[in-house]
Amino acid sequence: MNLSSCYLFKGLSDSHLGRLEAIASKQPVRQGQWLFHKDEPAEFLYILESGAVELLIEVHGSLELPVFTVESAAAELLAEVQEPVEIPTTMIRAGNGCVGVGALIEPYRYSLSARCVRDGTLSVIRRADIQRLIHQHPDLGCCVMTNLARKLLERLNETRREVQIHLMSLVRSASF
Amino acid sequence: MAMQQQTNEVTFETRGDVMVIYIQGDITAFSETKLNEAYRSATGQGAVRLLLKIAADAYINSGGIAVLIQILAQTSRNRQVIGITGVSEHFKKIFSMVGITKFATIYPSIEEALEKMAVSAA
Repeated sequence: MNLSSCYLFKGLSDSHLGRLEAIASKQPVRQGQWLFHKDEPAEFLYILESGAVELLIEVHGSLELPVFTVESAAAELLAEVQEPVEIPTTMIRAGNGCVGVGALIEPYRYSLSARCVRDGTLSVIRRADIQRLIHQHPDLGCCVMTNLARKLLERLNETRREVQIHLMSLVRSASF
Repeated sequence: MAMQQQTNEVTFETRGDVMVIYIQGDITAFSETKLNEAYRSATGQGAVRLLLKIAADAYINSGGIAVLIQILAQTSRNRQVIGITGVSEHFKKIFSMVGITKFATIYPSIEEALEKMAVSAA
């Protein structure tokens, strides 16, 4: 198990990594397998040992994603969508990735859905176990949360950039 | 959790009447600068027919879809013909849902794209 390659655990001492490895268990996964769905209780944190996991937003009946379309005909197409749509958000590949960080933050709910794109192996840590470890070792918790905050800021910056792109598309189409 | 910020590698190849733009790497909101530069470069060279070749293992998230829509809107205004190839069935479905197929034709291969685009009207 090589938890040290996960961004969440960067900078942790060998002893802390050992404590995390002691509470992690390996889980093989298959392509197409769902790990969790949005809004489900976040009971597990998953670290990718191998394979790849896609994070996405499942939308049923209509699109929630703020994708702008410049033609009204295309908007009508969106309104007619009846089958579930999956909005791709992120692809997590082995070597640095983990999914399910909702297990670290209240209200402990997954904010996205996760599905395995390839067969692989995950290291799984139960929320209760890592919370207990963080309580026992605040310096471990501080390091993990700092790493998480950095990653969430990256994600926020990406989302802001996406909003900017959509906004500029709106502005340009309005001028025509 | 989030994708690491990355820059795409873009290369060009003129094949007959079509300029093929090869895009390596995942396509996200961070791809905006590179892809817009590539589009401007292709247009500056007088390209009227453009084919975006997306890498087989590329992931396109919602931000990447927004970038592609932005470029396609420009091709529409500039009366260019544009095709896309290299996308999986999964992304073809998403492209159809968000209306990308109204601006661009999705082709199963470069060869078919070149054949169909060479005879289509600008």
